[in-house]
Amino acid sequence: NQRSLQNFISKTFQKRKMAHTRISMYLPPNINPAQADIAYGCWALPKLNKELQSEDLQTRQKALMALCDLMHDPEYVYEAVDIGCLESLTALLKDSDTLVRIKTTEVLCIMANHNVGRTSFLEHDIILALSFLLNDPYSACRENLHQVYKQLAQLPEGARGIINSGLIPSLVWKLPREEEDIQELILDTLAPCLQEDATEALASRAVPFLKQKLLSDNANIRSKAARVLTAISIPLEGKNQVKQHDVIPILVHLLKDQEPEVQANAAGALMNAAVTTEGKYTALDADAIEPLLMLLHSPVTKVRLNATKALTMLAEAPEGRKRLQTQVGTFRVLELDNNVTVRRAAQIAIKVIEWKP
Amino acid sequence: MATYTYTSRPRALPCQRRRYRDSLLQPEEEPVRYGNIMYDRRVIRGNTYALQTGLLPGQPDPVELQRKQQAKKKALAKKRAQEQLKPRTPEPVEGRKHVDVQTELYLEEIADRVIEVDMECQTDAFLDRPPTPLFIPARTNKDVATEILEGELFDFDLEVKPMLEVLVGKTIEQSLLEVMEEEELANLQASQCAYEEMRNVELAEVQRLEEQKRRHEEEKERRKRQQWEIVHKQNETSQKIAACAFAQRYLADLLPSVFSSLRDSGYFYDPIKRDIELGFLPWLMNEVEKTIDYSLVGRTVLDMLIREVVEKRLNSYERKEGSPPSKWEEELEIPERKRDSTINYLTQEPSTLQAQKRLSDTEYLRAPSIDRGPPTQERKPVEEEFQGPDDDAEMRRSLDTEDPTGASEL
Repeated sequence: NQRSLQNFISKTFQKRKMAHTRISMYLPPNINPAQADIAYGCWALPKLNKELQSEDLQTRQKALMALCDLMHDPEYVYEAVDIGCLESLTALLKDSDTLVRIKTTEVLCIMANHNVGRTSFLEHDIILALSFLLNDPYSACRENLHQVYKQLAQLPEGARGIINSGLIPSLVWKLPREEEDIQELILDTLAPCLQEDATEALASRAVPFLKQKLLSDNANIRSKAARVLTAISIPLEGKNQVKQHDVIPILVHLLKDQEPEVQANAAGALMNAAVTTEGKYTALDADAIEPLLMLLHSPVTKVRLNATKALTMLAEAPEGRKRLQTQVGTFRVLELDNNVTVRRAAQIAIKVIEWKP
Repeated sequence: MATYTYTSRPRALPCQRRRYRDSLLQPEEEPVRYGNIMYDRRVIRGNTYALQTGLLPGQPDPVELQRKQQAKKKALAKKRAQEQLKPRTPEPVEGRKHVDVQTELYLEEIADRVIEVDMECQTDAFLDRPPTPLFIPARTNKDVATEILEGELFDFDLEVKPMLEVLVGKTIEQSLLEVMEEEELANLQASQCAYEEMRNVELAEVQRLEEQKRRHEEEKERRKRQQWEIVHKQNETSQKIAACAFAQRYLADLLPSVFSSLRDSGYFYDPIKRDIELGFLPWLMNEVEKTIDYSLVGRTVLDMLIREVVEKRLNSYERKEGSPPSKWEEELEIPERKRDSTINYLTQEPSTLQAQKRLSDTEYLRAPSIDRGPPTQERKPVEEEFQGPDDDAEMRRSLDTEDPTGASEL
């Protein structure tokens, strides 16, 4: 009985579909009119490459959108580089249409996420081609551009490539004039580049700009600016400039900041700047010991590490040593820390504090 | 096959009937209605060998037209004639009028004004051509029903399980992959950060150690240099002291020796002596010279006198005897001086006497060629006078030296 009832229900509520000669009113589900059709298998990329070089604007745009989707796969990236997509993309960078440029930079950005892409960028001189777009009026374009540079800079050869192509002065110059997101990207690019070679940046007056950025409202920008300062104060010239421009008091002030990243990077910058004698005395004058001691109790490893190192630097000076001799207990506690590096740093600090001439 | 040329190409003629209003937009694909040739009046049907030419169905035949008109006239005339013959009601009496009266059951209003009611009739407005309706062909199939009881065809749950497994599995796998990728990237990033920290820390450590070493080195250098300077100074000082002592000692007896040598060389003079030498003695000599000059002059005069006398005597003798007076001249040459000096007296003619301003000794020496006696006597007192100044070895020496020279000149 129940079964018959069920049958009845199923029959009445089932729609009867008849055969239609017409395909449904709806378009097939996979068509995206904004994208070019991706050919099957190994023909996908050559076809897209050809479409990239076509004269028609719409074809180019559609091909770029399809390429964006494909480039997430590293195998496709490798193949694209192999068949020479990069040359067509380089040519498209100078295109007059905005969407084309934005999409091209996006494709390059996605390609830069893979190592294959990065190394091929270095071979094909993409850095130079991209540098023409630094003054592009559209921020999306510039944002992607700086993303590419940031990814590229994480590779040591990439960083060197960026330095060799003379981009550092223009990047430093752009720093105060861009929007905040792009500023973060630029700072992220500059940090590894300056770790390689900081002379050009020092020559283009990077330190005053960075000093400005240290006082910004955005915590990310502050921490990244402090990171760049850490890198820039590795060579001696950098340390001198840092001291010259009175950055050290600001760094000491940043030690009391809320964000652990900011604290860590500020301590790192202080650590590098306090290597020279003048730097040490400037830091001592700016009363750096108190905040650094407070940072030693921070939960973040990087903060503790950098604070320990900075205190080690300051302990080289006799005044610093005198003040820190009372705090040796804190360092003993740090010696039992989890992190190997922190332990070692604490040992070195104790050794320096207890050194007798 | 010859190609045809047409004045008008054969074409299918469209039907002129328009069923719908012409839409403003030209409809593209409206099918052109072609008239069916079978029902076209223009197409000639039937046998063509007995055609009526010239007459189209639209156009009226002129003969026919005339006949029709005549027929019409005739009919009209006939009708008029018949009208005349028709019986009619008589005319009304004077003062009366015939009125039509309705006698039916229902009265009808009669008015000479015809009730006019406007009625309109309009064909339906031209509609837009509706879209082509779906062509749904008439059902030609037969409906056949089959009853499928539940569970007969397939068990949905069972069947769907592998498919679902595949679907869900693939999705989860893909998402797992993506999550793992992200995790890997995050791990890489974290390890990169940690590495960067370590690198920074190590770098700072290296720099600190370098700095420390440099400072220590500098300090050492400075101390060494200080020490070296001290030692150097000490050396110098000791050397200076030694040199000073030695110099003092060396020069201690320098002073007396200097004084003695100076004294020896006559730089220290007794002023009185000098005065005597400078003042007194020249004056003395001058006086002596003068005295000697006087005596010389006297002698010369005497000599001249004697000479004159002798010459006169000689001349007188010569005149007398004329014998050369050689003995007298020899006697003149013989006399020698008493002194042992190696003086050679030259015979000097008294006429060549010259008053020389040298020491009077020279003239004095010349004089004895003529007069031997007095010079020797006179020399002695001069010599004695010279012995007055004692210790004047130099003067003595000078006199001695000048004597031979003066004498040698003679």
